[in-house]
Amino acid sequence: MLGLRKRIWTPRPVKSSYDAVIIGGGLHGLATAYFLARDHGITNVAVIEKRFIGFGGSGRNTAIVRANQRTQENLPLYKEALDLWPVLTRELDFNLMFHNCGNLNLAHGEAALKAMRLQVSSARFLGIDSRLLDPKECKDLVPALDISQRPRYPITGGMYHPPGGIVRHDAVVWGLAKGCSRRGVHIHQGTEVTGIGFERGKVAWVDTDRGKIRTPRVLNAAGGYSAGIASRLMGLRLPISVLTIQAMVTQPLKPLLHHVISSGAYHCYANQTLKGEIVTGAHMDPWPNFTTQTTAAYIKHQAEFVTEFLPCLKGAKFMRIWGGLADMTPDMAPIIDGHVPAEGCFIDCGWGYFGFKSSTVTGRYMARYMATGECPEILEPFALKRFQEHRLMGETAALVDYSANN
Amino acid sequence: MIRLNHLPTLRIKPGAPRSFRYGRRRLQGVDGDTVATALFANGVRVFGRSLKYHRPRGLYSLDGESSNTLVNVDGVPNVCAETTLLAEGMRVSSQNAFPGPDFDLLGFMDALSWAMPAGFYYRVLHKPARLWPLAVPFIRKMAGVGTLSADFQAPGRRDEIYPAADVCVIGAGVAGMSAALAAAEAGLRVVLFESRPWPGGAFEYRPGTARDGVAYYRKTAELAAAVQASPHIRLFLNAPVIGVYSDGLVTAFQRGRPPHPFDERYIEVRAASVVAATGCSERPLLFDHNERPGVMQAGCAHRLARTWGILPGRTAVFSVGHDLGLEAAVDLFDLGVEIAAVAELRQDGLDRALVDALAQRRIPLLRGWSVTKAHGRHRVTRVTLAGPNGRFRKTIDCDLLVASAGFTPVTGPLTLAGARLAFDAHTGFFLPASLPPRVHAAGRLTGRQDWHAVAVSGRLAGLSAVHDSGIDRTAAIGESIDELASLPGPARGTQFVLAPGSGKKAFICFDEDATVKNVDQAMDKGFDVPELIKRFASVGTGPGQGGIPGHNLPLYVHQSGASPDGHPRPTTVRVPLTPTFLATYAGTRLDMSKRTPLHALQVADGGRMERLGVWHRARRFSEDERSREEILAVRTAVGMLDASTLGKFRIFGPDAVKVLDRVYVGDMTRVPRTRAKYSAMCNEDGCLADDGVIVCTGDNDYYFTTSTGRAGMTVEWIRYHTRFDDWDFGIVNLTDAYGVINLAGPEARTVLQRVTDADVSNEAFPYMGYREFAVDEIPVRAMRLGFVGELSFELHVPASWMVHVWNRLMAAGGDLGIRPFGLEAQNTLRLEKCHVIIGSESEQRTTLHDVGLGFLWHRDKPWAKTVGDTALRQTEHQPGRLKLVGFRMADPTAPLPGDGSVIVDRRIRGYVCTARYSFTLKEPVGLALVDDALSAEGSSLAIHEDGCGGRLARAVVTETPFYDPEGLRLRM
Repeated sequence: MLGLRKRIWTPRPVKSSYDAVIIGGGLHGLATAYFLARDHGITNVAVIEKRFIGFGGSGRNTAIVRANQRTQENLPLYKEALDLWPVLTRELDFNLMFHNCGNLNLAHGEAALKAMRLQVSSARFLGIDSRLLDPKECKDLVPALDISQRPRYPITGGMYHPPGGIVRHDAVVWGLAKGCSRRGVHIHQGTEVTGIGFERGKVAWVDTDRGKIRTPRVLNAAGGYSAGIASRLMGLRLPISVLTIQAMVTQPLKPLLHHVISSGAYHCYANQTLKGEIVTGAHMDPWPNFTTQTTAAYIKHQAEFVTEFLPCLKGAKFMRIWGGLADMTPDMAPIIDGHVPAEGCFIDCGWGYFGFKSSTVTGRYMARYMATGECPEILEPFALKRFQEHRLMGETAALVDYSANN
Repeated sequence: MIRLNHLPTLRIKPGAPRSFRYGRRRLQGVDGDTVATALFANGVRVFGRSLKYHRPRGLYSLDGESSNTLVNVDGVPNVCAETTLLAEGMRVSSQNAFPGPDFDLLGFMDALSWAMPAGFYYRVLHKPARLWPLAVPFIRKMAGVGTLSADFQAPGRRDEIYPAADVCVIGAGVAGMSAALAAAEAGLRVVLFESRPWPGGAFEYRPGTARDGVAYYRKTAELAAAVQASPHIRLFLNAPVIGVYSDGLVTAFQRGRPPHPFDERYIEVRAASVVAATGCSERPLLFDHNERPGVMQAGCAHRLARTWGILPGRTAVFSVGHDLGLEAAVDLFDLGVEIAAVAELRQDGLDRALVDALAQRRIPLLRGWSVTKAHGRHRVTRVTLAGPNGRFRKTIDCDLLVASAGFTPVTGPLTLAGARLAFDAHTGFFLPASLPPRVHAAGRLTGRQDWHAVAVSGRLAGLSAVHDSGIDRTAAIGESIDELASLPGPARGTQFVLAPGSGKKAFICFDEDATVKNVDQAMDKGFDVPELIKRFASVGTGPGQGGIPGHNLPLYVHQSGASPDGHPRPTTVRVPLTPTFLATYAGTRLDMSKRTPLHALQVADGGRMERLGVWHRARRFSEDERSREEILAVRTAVGMLDASTLGKFRIFGPDAVKVLDRVYVGDMTRVPRTRAKYSAMCNEDGCLADDGVIVCTGDNDYYFTTSTGRAGMTVEWIRYHTRFDDWDFGIVNLTDAYGVINLAGPEARTVLQRVTDADVSNEAFPYMGYREFAVDEIPVRAMRLGFVGELSFELHVPASWMVHVWNRLMAAGGDLGIRPFGLEAQNTLRLEKCHVIIGSESEQRTTLHDVGLGFLWHRDKPWAKTVGDTALRQTEHQPGRLKLVGFRMADPTAPLPGDGSVIVDRRIRGYVCTARYSFTLKEPVGLALVDDALSAEGSSLAIHEDGCGGRLARAVVTETPFYDPEGLRLRM
């Protein structure tokens, strides 16, 4: 029953040439491959994954989706991404489990309220639902909140964003893999790209540990490893620092939190998965690092801080912590570009810890970029040249520096 | 139930009853009971219901490997009954069952398991699309175990400690204690963690004899006595290790019991060397209904009797694959349990003495047999056994089934420490193939089962740890290696996972109700890596975190031939190794905040204190959110602000001025002794990073201030940007050594003159001047600045004299109406003057030019290689940037737009940085960042505020500053 024995995807032999090669079997890579096949008829595509699909950030994120970013360049992209979850669920015939629970972001001071008003005003101007709440309204929404003056940073208000929620991240990986596989895309797990070859200023082939593959188009969508690949194989130095970011879950509980709740001052968020676990996490380790090791300080710090504004969680138990890589740019916005450094070379990286929510829509536009060679307007602001021109994108107001001198 | 109270291995005090409540029942246990053993002794067999199918679950293990015995204790959900000691008056209740575990209304879910194959949620419930949102609340309600209420307040006392150690030994079994003693003999400081309430591990309860003829429990007790007598060993009992990190960092928590002054405490040890002696748990045998109440592991049945004096059943069937199971059968028989049959997975390699003992007791031993099914609705009543290849079936009535396929080494701490594991076909274990430096493994987790071999391997590990510390132990290590070689090596282990002819109801993971059939289904879908199967079929991701399936899953996947590289691969182990309360991790919740020297005074004066970063600061001194009185005092009389949070630094040495030239955009070669220089720091993109004042206090000696938020990173910033220059300078952070009082207002000079003999007249101490003088012999550094737009003195006073100077000024100005003012008043005052606050009027998109401070940049100091200089050149005339402008509302009576409101036309063109009602100008004024096309004076701005419903407010870009444009008030 229910197509029980039908494989989600099937291993295939590596061919000697593809119309496009995508480095990285994560969400951005799989989504791009899927839309290349779906929208542009380019099905002779290989997704090359060194480990297994969803090994990196795609399987390590905390599955939160939202469209309440800071700038008008970013907001429409994330809004479209929100709208895509139900569409893809139907199209892939795979339940991505979009749980539209809404996000509540807490403010603990005047500066935070101002930042939120900017986000809320921007979102509303662009037709996205988002609103400011006072502490009492926050408490009405989330009864577990402590809105007294007891916490070290008392809650002074919040930003409520009803269209957001959570999506089952593994399901997106598998659903897209299924969609890719059905449309003829090859997914090669356990395969490493070791070189990119150029001929007459254009991409000509990639070398892998399973042989040479000729191709006119290569996409670097390797997440935390993409800056290294860009540097080693594309000769492109990207302004990216890679940091470990950790997240953890408690043992499953009966429904307690009905929204995604986050706090900038405490650097943490909490939401309850459909399985009942409470996921928390947020900020990165304070130094560049390519390991996914966790630290003793972080899990303790999270316990201290999440229980400041959600004191009832003291009675929950952490049961698992994990780490992933965040490829951070100086303005906390991604780098999406094409034909750098040579024709046929595409990059989609620098997503930091926002790569999950935007993955599907970016894949759709990136597929158009790769298929037509023309950059879709919505992706133009993300080009690499903004850093040369000192036109940072302002996705965060603060001057952030994730390099070794931070 | 009557306890066996004559056994020498008992850990209970049968004469010390403890009463507790279980649901509505009042029950009694005894001192030494865990919640689980007390319930079992009272006849409770069904402890709760499973997550998905609401299957009855009972006591299976005793160390919390599964979620079977999670209960609610005193309102706290998901308390592990197996590892929680019973206390007088506890209120215990079952979870995930209504009305109760023996009869659960949702018990029918079990019959629907066929409809919920692996990955079931991914494939159904989204067709049609509108079904899913309806299904979500239902799924959420069904999921999860244990209820935590939103107003739950965690009971109990918490603590945290950070002991130092040379050697940290994990596990106080025979190996761990031997290792600890070997290290203690050398005088090293040893921390020894044991998760159970007593030391001894796998041997402390066993009456069998070692090869020297002494009973295991006696030998183990002797070892424990030596450990407890050693002054060098700090033994933490009831303290599971939860994390192991690189460089010997080990975390644990300890459950307290009287007279401990805590209920749970967090422990973090940094040790030079780590010894893992964590032993083995039992590897479950999989067959249909392998988790029915009444099925338990060999150690569980045996320890119930030997440690707690409780007979685990009347009639038992054993289906085991190791000698410990046979030993338990013999001993339980002797204690009074009828043993109907012992099915042994192994055909050979059995301990002869145990085989003889079974024969003497006429217990039938069925070699090569295994249980294939447990019968009984809520507890085991009967079992079916099958011979080799699933033939020769036999059904036996019983109320206890002891089932155990083999052992699982507890390798969590080792893998977390960075050990690499490899599958070993002889033991069937994942054994450490390589260990990181200063990490050692010993005891049963290496496969050894013999008492002496375990002890010697522990001693060897302890000696190796001593050797790590630089004390030569080569000879002793050699002796131990030789001795170990003469003792029995690792025992052969079974790799048997699943009994023949079963699988539909053979649960590989109890926590998430995952069967081997679910694993098959995941493999059919194309999943081949155990890590992915684990996720798709939810195996080992529940509360027990793989304690039950951790070893069976890779073995089973390997046996199926699905794994791509032909080797069994373990799934990842993660911290915490034992689920840990957030309350325990949070510990004492120390708040490392900072208070200025005037904190108490500010509070006494009615200051509304707020946390800003690490500091407590006064926002205002009245209920008035706009701080009108404070503002008017500064504008018309005099006020005082506690500005002690400003960053304050001394930089000195022959190259100090070069350093200042590097990080500040201004020219630092000419800072006269008597003047204060205002300047800014930029980052590489030319963005305003900091601003402050620099004064010269002596030859090559400077004092400068930074904004509050930058104080913590300034030294590092300077060191980083001069790292290649080999310059000779020193820098000292004086932020906490000095306090700052900003004395501001037209009467400021009058007040100041009353407390000092120095001449502070406008001629002697002009605007932007710097003077050092005394107030009551207290040395004060004074700068004439004007952030709030009035005559003002910034007085830098040694922190310990701040209260004195503040009080003196306050007294001196009493007749002039002096009063303290807070951050809100300061914000409005400086806004009227259009002085920027970093982060408020600047952000990552704005350079120094954009916020109107380009005049600070000295473009002709190429020698300095000023940070941000290149960007400042490139962006100086760049079009299309945000610019800081001042605005007034087109209609002065219009409401004040909120900070952060956006400025729009067809697109977003900027936003309001700060807007306040100006009591001085009697209208709202504001600063905004807007596209340069809108920045000309007179430009009309349309403000879109959240909640405006599309009705835009109109503002006009106006000349700045709003207040005292000529700056006369600063110079008066």
